[in-house]
Amino acid sequence: MRELGEAIARDYEGREPVLVGALKACVVFLADLSRALPIPHELDFLELASYGKANAPPEGRIRLLKDLDRSIAGRDVLVVEDIVDTGLTLRFLCRTLALRAPGSLGVVTLLDRPYRRLVDDLPVRYTGFVVPDELFVGYGFDVDERCRALPDLHVLRPAV
Amino acid sequence: MLETPVFQAYCGEGPPRFANPYELECAKVLDWYGVPWQYEPRTFVLEADGDRVLEAFTPDFYLPEQDLYLEVTMMKQSLVTRKNRKLRKLRERYPDVNVKLFYRRDVERLAERFKLPIAS
Repeated sequence: MRELGEAIARDYEGREPVLVGALKACVVFLADLSRALPIPHELDFLELASYGKANAPPEGRIRLLKDLDRSIAGRDVLVVEDIVDTGLTLRFLCRTLALRAPGSLGVVTLLDRPYRRLVDDLPVRYTGFVVPDELFVGYGFDVDERCRALPDLHVLRPAV
Repeated sequence: MLETPVFQAYCGEGPPRFANPYELECAKVLDWYGVPWQYEPRTFVLEADGDRVLEAFTPDFYLPEQDLYLEVTMMKQSLVTRKNRKLRKLRERYPDVNVKLFYRRDVERLAERFKLPIAS
């Protein structure tokens, strides 16, 4: 976390980036990253409708359930992701935010599975760990909302 | 016969006719995210004897924005030797073609992540 914070602080020195988190899985990581980032910055959140969940919109298309609280026009925006996998969610997020004319748009992710990427044109600038194809719980990661509050990251393996 | 919903990001010709529920669910996920996709738009000849096609390969999806072909298989990774061989051949014959194989595990991960009805 310290390394990520220092790398971001170096790149954004003299600026005041907005860390944007997509609820909910990123929350723990974003909180830790914010505390490890030794430059002034703002926090904002949005929430996306999830495929196949009760809050999925009837039109069958991803959309924002909660938007950012403030304008990001001209601001340096750093999207904080828990994990980048196929890149489908992040693609939507980046396209949506790019329409609002930010000064710059980058992504920091705690975990990355680049080998499963379907879309590659993503501005992922900082990666915590490239991880194997495992399911993670804890540290914000959930299984049907369970285990999210575990303080550490765990690999979930099916019972044999 | 699989239900074929009205797709919004589908940009192929004619209605897609999926071979199995996994392809359908993958199509739904792509559609959900608004990623333009086509279904089996191109068959690649891998081996031919004159005009006679001896071996060919038709990837399930094509994502034009990514210029990426995507093959979805529900076979376990250990059992996809034949498909891998075809893929290798395709990459040799068509080095400019970008193709990715989604194994059963990949599809199951998608299913788990997106709560698809095919989740095991």
